[in-house]
Amino acid sequence: MDSSNDEAVDIIITNVVATFRTRCHLNLRTIALEGINVIYKPEVGKVLMKLRKPRITASIWSSGKIICTGATSEDEAKLGARRLARCLQKLGFKVRFSAFKVVNVLAVCSMPFSIHLVDFTKNNRPIASYEPELHPAATYRIKNIKATVQVFSTGSLTITGPNVQNVATAVEQVYPLLFECRKPLCK
Amino acid sequence: MSSKVCKNCGSTAIDVDHARGNAVCMSCGSVLDDNIIVSEVEFVETGGGGSLAVGQFVSSEGGQRLPSFGDSYYPGVGSQSRAQTLQRAKQNINTLGHQLQMNQHCLDTAFNFYKMALNKRLTNGHRSSHVIAACLYLVCRTEGTPHMLLDLSDVLQVNVYVLGKVFLHLAKELCINAPAIEFGEKNHDVSMTAMRLVQRMKRDWMHTGRRPSGLCGAALLVSAHMHDFCRTVKEVVNVVKVCESTLRKRLTEFEDTPTSKLTVEEFMRVDLDEECDPPSYTAGLKKTKTQQLEKQLMEKMPDVEDEIKGYQDEIDAELESLRPKLKGVYAAYVNRDLSSEDIRSMLSQQDDNQSDEDEELRAVARHFDKDLDTLTVEALIKLEQKTPEEENECGMKIPERVGPSLASILGTMPSAATLGLPESINKCTGEERENDGAADSGELDLSGIDDSEIELYLLSESEIKIKTALWMAENSDYLKEQKEKEAKIAKEKELGIYKEKKPKSSGKKRSQIRASTADEAIGKMLEQKKISTKINYDVLKDLNIRPSASPARKAESVKSESSGAKLTRRSTKPAQTPPGLSVPLSTLGKRLQPFISRQPMKKQAVESPQDSLCNPLPAPAAAPASGGVVVESGPVVYNDVADEEEDEEEDTCVSAMDLLGGNDYGFDGDDDDGF
Repeated sequence: MDSSNDEAVDIIITNVVATFRTRCHLNLRTIALEGINVIYKPEVGKVLMKLRKPRITASIWSSGKIICTGATSEDEAKLGARRLARCLQKLGFKVRFSAFKVVNVLAVCSMPFSIHLVDFTKNNRPIASYEPELHPAATYRIKNIKATVQVFSTGSLTITGPNVQNVATAVEQVYPLLFECRKPLCK
Repeated sequence: MSSKVCKNCGSTAIDVDHARGNAVCMSCGSVLDDNIIVSEVEFVETGGGGSLAVGQFVSSEGGQRLPSFGDSYYPGVGSQSRAQTLQRAKQNINTLGHQLQMNQHCLDTAFNFYKMALNKRLTNGHRSSHVIAACLYLVCRTEGTPHMLLDLSDVLQVNVYVLGKVFLHLAKELCINAPAIEFGEKNHDVSMTAMRLVQRMKRDWMHTGRRPSGLCGAALLVSAHMHDFCRTVKEVVNVVKVCESTLRKRLTEFEDTPTSKLTVEEFMRVDLDEECDPPSYTAGLKKTKTQQLEKQLMEKMPDVEDEIKGYQDEIDAELESLRPKLKGVYAAYVNRDLSSEDIRSMLSQQDDNQSDEDEELRAVARHFDKDLDTLTVEALIKLEQKTPEEENECGMKIPERVGPSLASILGTMPSAATLGLPESINKCTGEERENDGAADSGELDLSGIDDSEIELYLLSESEIKIKTALWMAENSDYLKEQKEKEAKIAKEKELGIYKEKKPKSSGKKRSQIRASTADEAIGKMLEQKKISTKINYDVLKDLNIRPSASPARKAESVKSESSGAKLTRRSTKPAQTPPGLSVPLSTLGKRLQPFISRQPMKKQAVESPQDSLCNPLPAPAAAPASGGVVVESGPVVYNDVADEEEDEEEDTCVSAMDLLGGNDYGFDGDDDDGF
């Protein structure tokens, strides 16, 4: 999904976080002892299981709620989640795959120009905030699509949103504002 | 004047007389209202003939003076507390502001911000010091004073990010758009030079996205050196509060700009026109360049690789002759896998047999640098004759190239899993059929899931045993604790006093103090307990303490008896409530202080048990006999003090000790203070 202008801007999705429920109680000790690539954290009360094929790390709680992180696309997240459920099934739990929801998508994007952050913040006063003493990027929060865009002066953007579509929309929304405040590069 | 309806006759003809303050019904004559309160402004005549309004002006903020409501003392709910809060805030703002040399106008503005925040309840959930600092910083930004958040956090000794959070929250809620921070003007030569340097840095795009303090530090360091002041990096770091490495990095970046090549005089006179690219941009350029170089190298790789392979083969041959036998588990696996691959390849392509082997040998050589010497062609040929069972196991892998299969071998676990594959497949296919039935609404869609790969994630039985043993060994402490907990709960359940797990344990458990005198006991108690800030120990040292009984005795006394007796004792003093055994010392209030004042200083007191017998601490048996001498058990702490209190009551009652003839107790008259 590219922004609407001549040069295509690549949006690379780096992380997709999804949750789902197995609707059954899971014995964490069994999972820890019989699974490969598992880390048991009894003090927190969860098991971390890492899958290799879609590179995914899953936090498994004994209540049956599971959080999957590390996927690079929504489909991959779903595939990984189903794999994980299958794996738990094989361990002997009566697992049901329900309430799968992609909760957060993190993407990065790079503009072909540098950005003057102070001007950008001044033009978009309440929505954008820039505190160089605290963080080097300006934060632009789009309320209606619930996406946050962090703009760096080099032109790199970090976008977080509830799904991939929103992330793309956010980039499209923010692109013209960034274009106004670009810095001409000298060579 | 409310038009009412008469309660008796229901008529609406009501006459209200304000002079008398009456409201009377005209039809039946009943008086409906008496002493009507009128809220009108009244005027009185002053001496000169003018008129003055009656009353006081009361501000909504509560003001300084309380309106008197008949009785002199009115608790003053709400407004008084608010006034106190504002006063405290004003004081804090002024203190902090003076530390930062801010003028009074700024401080007043800050106070206004605070009032706004208070009205909107934004101060809830944050420390008051943080909120004050945030208000001050807000003023600094809006006024444009050269104060940084870092300065404020330095004064308060608080993490700058914590302050930043509060500041952002405040700014957002109050809808105040703080303009961005700018560099300020300074007066000294060094400062001027430093400023010019910073301007130069700005032109060279070094400043965006960076903390201002880092750039300032670098500029100051350079300008100091330019003016022959030897300031070390450490000194600058202390002032600017950035890391040394950051400072060095900024210096290096500045070094890369052409301005750094100028001499001091040239820099003062000339300003170079050209601007540099941002350091991150040049770094990015460098990166792309190196990547390009790598790409080119990669393209040239195959040519070089063949040569290298040739050399490797020769080396292998040499090594073979030296070390012919196989060693290592890996080699066995490799050979086994390779053998299956070999079989396939041989079956399919008879011609390319030799070349396949060579390829695999090379591939193996690539992957196993260390095991080169263990691989021999003879060994491979030997393994050809091994059972083709393994072929089936690795069958699914054969379509893939050598890489993945070797990759699986490199990891021990998966290789073991592949070996155990047939058993686990059979086990799990049986389970599969069971589990599929269980899913209804939460049915698991198995499309696209390769079960065989999932098998890889599960350990075989023997491995499970090994892992269980390892895990148990590692977490033995934790498991022990869990077992003890469960045992305890089971025991309590049996005894019927099992309580549901409370997240907080109420009260602190104190160990019994064993001391021969009460002074010692109290001394130990004070050591155990947190030392109170309300006690003036110097005074304590001066006072005389009456030697008191041995706490050892107390420990034996029965709790219930003592508590019962205690109550009777206490009943003589209506103002006291029987302090529970868990009541902290401080709540016993003033009464205790004279005690405390006396006892602790005699910690080094006589330890002889005989002297330690004192009035309130005869044997428990004597307690009822003496008519209510209270002996308390349990935490000796309170017993000591409580018993000391009992001492005062000895005036009225005769203790067993007196009966027994003990006369060594100096009962000071001042025991009765405040009781």
